[in-house]
Amino acid sequence: MTATGEIEAFGPRVQAEVERAIQRNIKGLEYFTSPAPVLGATPKDVLHKRGTLNLYHYRPLADEVYRVPLLMVMATTNRGYIFDLAPGQSLVEFLLKHGYDVYLIDWSPPRPDESRLRLEDYTLAFIPDCVRRVKEDSGEEQVTILGYCMGGVLSVIYAALHPDTPLKNLVCFTTPIDWNHMGLFTKWAHRDFFDVDRLVDALGNVPSELIFTSFEMLRPATRSAGQIKLWENMWNDEFVKSHRMFERWSTDTLPLAGEYFRQTIKELMWQNGLFKSELTLGGRRADLGNIRAPVLHAVAEHDHIVPYDAAKPLVERVGSIDKQELVLKGGHVSVVAGGNAVKRLWPKLDAWLGERSI
Amino acid sequence: MAEPSSKDPAAAWQDLVVQWEKNINALANRTMGSDEFSKSINRAMSLSAGMQSSLGEVMGRYLASLNLPSRAEMTSIGGRLQAIEERLDRIHALLQRLAGVAEPGAAPASPRPPRTKRPPGRGVKP
Repeated sequence: MTATGEIEAFGPRVQAEVERAIQRNIKGLEYFTSPAPVLGATPKDVLHKRGTLNLYHYRPLADEVYRVPLLMVMATTNRGYIFDLAPGQSLVEFLLKHGYDVYLIDWSPPRPDESRLRLEDYTLAFIPDCVRRVKEDSGEEQVTILGYCMGGVLSVIYAALHPDTPLKNLVCFTTPIDWNHMGLFTKWAHRDFFDVDRLVDALGNVPSELIFTSFEMLRPATRSAGQIKLWENMWNDEFVKSHRMFERWSTDTLPLAGEYFRQTIKELMWQNGLFKSELTLGGRRADLGNIRAPVLHAVAEHDHIVPYDAAKPLVERVGSIDKQELVLKGGHVSVVAGGNAVKRLWPKLDAWLGERSI
Repeated sequence: MAEPSSKDPAAAWQDLVVQWEKNINALANRTMGSDEFSKSINRAMSLSAGMQSSLGEVMGRYLASLNLPSRAEMTSIGGRLQAIEERLDRIHALLQRLAGVAEPGAAPASPRPPRTKRPPGRGVKP
């Protein structure tokens, strides 16, 4: 290209940048003066509430639904509205429109008197109780369970502890099984350095700030880089909307019940009990081989919270004949929500689950 | 990612930000992966938790001496009251349902859709 040609090609780019700079200023002002986006607005009913536990039933959006109801189990560290961000970006809405009868276990911050909740409470009381309520409400004998991250861990433990469960399918998103491969978490929480007893004994419930900071420390530059990218894209309404939704969700972490945290560190991380099939709760051993229902595990290629090596053993170790692992582009959150998930995970989930929900 | 044009300052800037983020994260991860870092962070956390706990105890004793509840006790009472209210609401709704009385202003219960859906391509149900 000649020098004149380069200047001519450069002109429209400069013009576009000037227009964007003007838009940035106008929309930047709007950004700081407008209210936070409304999230989790798909109509739902509270089916059951008990302390930290909330069981919701979403109102149907299709004329007919699949026979088998779907019970989603949210991670205990974050709010469930990651599944229901905004119309068009809501996994719940997508599933409802595609004919699923959707229930969700979502968590509130545990109260001080709930600091004694243990893994047994989650996997031998909360989830079985919710499964019973979903069966009663839907009138169906079988239930599909879908768990995300620690919600996946709880769902897997529940399924492993209840071989006689009416589980139709088990779907997990980014669920850690081999806790020796949890990257920096494994190092920070190493038994030689981390006095979990002292922390839990002193604080009761583990504060949300600690959970938030430990996630943030995995990628310390990402928040600052995100602010720069936000400013660059301030002219782009879709980018700003998406940024605000994810920003709000990622900062909205939950405290964890103290005993549950202590057990997670000691029994899952230090002893790697789930991976070794040695985790024993309520006198029962959580053997992954006990899981016989069809299993789908969606994992992210670039997951910095649950690395692939930590998630990989699930499909290898369950006793199911019908099992599949989906390795998708994206990170821990973008694999389940946002534009990436809408294109990649959701259609695949629908194709897999639809066939198995009749 | 698109190959940045060396002549496009905006693209070059964006590339620079991406590279900066990657490099800082990688550097921080190397530093934070050391035993020394784990030791110091856990020492700091234990200290902070210990201080928080001691401060809470001292404040609790002070408030008790004034015959006042602590923040944790108030939060706990608030949580309990909320749980009691929710339970009362459920009992109320259940009693109304048993008595056949509709909740004032409540929308009529919409019929549930039939559980007959088949996946696309599976044809009509038998």
